[in-house]
Amino acid sequence: MMAAIFATLLIAFIFDLLGYQRFALRCLFISLALCIVLFLWEIYSPVYGFRMPWLQVEVAPLSAPFAS
Amino acid sequence: MREINRILSLSAPALDRVFLFAMLLALAAILTIAMVVQYGLGEIPCPLCLLQRFAIFGCCFGLIKQLQSGSERGTGISLIFSILLLVISARQTLLDIVPRPGHEYVGSAIFGIHMPVWSIFIALGLLIGFAIRLTFLGGLHSAPAVESYLIRRLTRALAIYVAFICAINFLSVVVQCGMDECHTSGYRLLP
Repeated sequence: MMAAIFATLLIAFIFDLLGYQRFALRCLFISLALCIVLFLWEIYSPVYGFRMPWLQVEVAPLSAPFAS
Repeated sequence: MREINRILSLSAPALDRVFLFAMLLALAAILTIAMVVQYGLGEIPCPLCLLQRFAIFGCCFGLIKQLQSGSERGTGISLIFSILLLVISARQTLLDIVPRPGHEYVGSAIFGIHMPVWSIFIALGLLIGFAIRLTFLGGLHSAPAVESYLIRRLTRALAIYVAFICAINFLSVVVQCGMDECHTSGYRLLP
């Protein structure tokens, strides 16, 4: 998949250098779409999904008195 | 005052071209440094690192398009890829910010900062750069002929260089990942 992303990007650069602007843009957006798919696949975990439970946050009580 | 404004309005198109060219040069330098770190220091990039590298290449493509054509489409492309770079690098930073088995920053730190965090700075720098350009240099206008010719030739040379390092990266990705999943343990196709 990564090889396909860089291959389409390289083709986009080559088309751009040769003056085929429209084909270059098409290849660029195909590589962008492949990149987004691979990014989502890389960050997805079967256990956590897209969540990141290792980032612990606490909700601060809004009405907590500041004076101890 | 009117004279200063007149000089500024005359030099703005040329400044705009120089500004865009400087951004392209900076990105080409960053990609070159990344490759030096990979091949010189033997640090194998992780899959998300490779996707960040791809996003920087996309920004280069937009800047080249902007410098060659003069339409604002190139800036739009670069902005899309800058946001992509920011999203990928922020997510990777959040993945590795809490060290745990199988998840820590890949590679060594440069000036105490790891690569995904540097990528956040790069993406923010790009977004701020485009904002400054559009705010102060006004965006779309044609540059004077002499500067245009010089910048166009330099852009052409830099575009060929960026395409060349893109080709090297493609070959490197094939050697590292083959047609399968990428790993940082070694190059799949090398013994």
